[in-house]
Amino acid sequence: MTAGLKLWLGQATRHLSKDSAAQVRSEIQEHYESALDAAVNCGNSRDHADTIALAALGDATTANRQYRKVLLTSGEARLLREGNWEAKTFCARRLARTLTLSMPGLVMLIAVALFLMGATGVARIPLIGAIGMALLFLARFLPIYTPSRSRIFRYVKWVILAAMPILAFGAEALKFSWLLIACLWPVAWVEWTRISIRRKLPVSRWPRQLYL
Amino acid sequence: MHRNARYQVNFKGTLPTLILDSLVHEPRHGYGIAQGIKDRSQGVLDFKEGTLYPALHKLENEGLVESYEDVENGRPRRCYRITKSGRASLVKDRAQWRELSKAVTMILGEA
Repeated sequence: MTAGLKLWLGQATRHLSKDSAAQVRSEIQEHYESALDAAVNCGNSRDHADTIALAALGDATTANRQYRKVLLTSGEARLLREGNWEAKTFCARRLARTLTLSMPGLVMLIAVALFLMGATGVARIPLIGAIGMALLFLARFLPIYTPSRSRIFRYVKWVILAAMPILAFGAEALKFSWLLIACLWPVAWVEWTRISIRRKLPVSRWPRQLYL
Repeated sequence: MHRNARYQVNFKGTLPTLILDSLVHEPRHGYGIAQGIKDRSQGVLDFKEGTLYPALHKLENEGLVESYEDVENGRPRRCYRITKSGRASLVKDRAQWRELSKAVTMILGEA
């Protein structure tokens, strides 16, 4: 590999995941070799052919910008690798799974009991807790295996997430919006990254977490 | 004539359609697709080849083309072929392009 091509590839693969970068390197190198052969066959010297083949590839930064729109970046690959912790923690062990499945129901029962006892203000807290836990833990056990079901689940999820602060703070929900933004930005960032990954991966290659 | 007056046309939006069209008759590798587009347009559509592959990946993600490993002159090559939905998309794109081109010609043709 020539120094020029190495430099071009270095710039074109910036911030791409390991697999994406390897794919780019392989396809661009194939392309470059074909272009080099064609230029040599046209009577150019090896050095001049190298210049022609590199120039034909264009600007590496522009290519990198376009590659990052269609191939997984290192951040997205990390999210795919490490973003499955709920499943690993709760689905893999029987005891944890049983506790996980029963906990939202149990907390919901406490909330209902408090409501019946007339402690409406206090009951709101376990109710919100139960909804949050159900959303986080139970989703994994739902039969969401198709893009359309996944879309419906995500709409419902966001409606619930939006309703939770209103339920928690009532009329003062707007007053506490700074607190909500501070708490929810990691969730929003993860969701945003997942949207980007869904665009880049064909449905057949979606891991379970992308459906949720 | 165009080879001497080679210029770059902003055809970012039409590149995917041109790629699909160049794969209609036979599967090709990336370099073949790039050369095919340049040759058939007599050098008018001169684009930077580094931007071809992101467009190919996008088409592949959308299920309009599929890629496979092949060997050419003893060298492993990634080749691309158009899918059934790719052909359907091309038919739609061609019809849209004809309509657009007719409209633009109606306006610019008067000048």
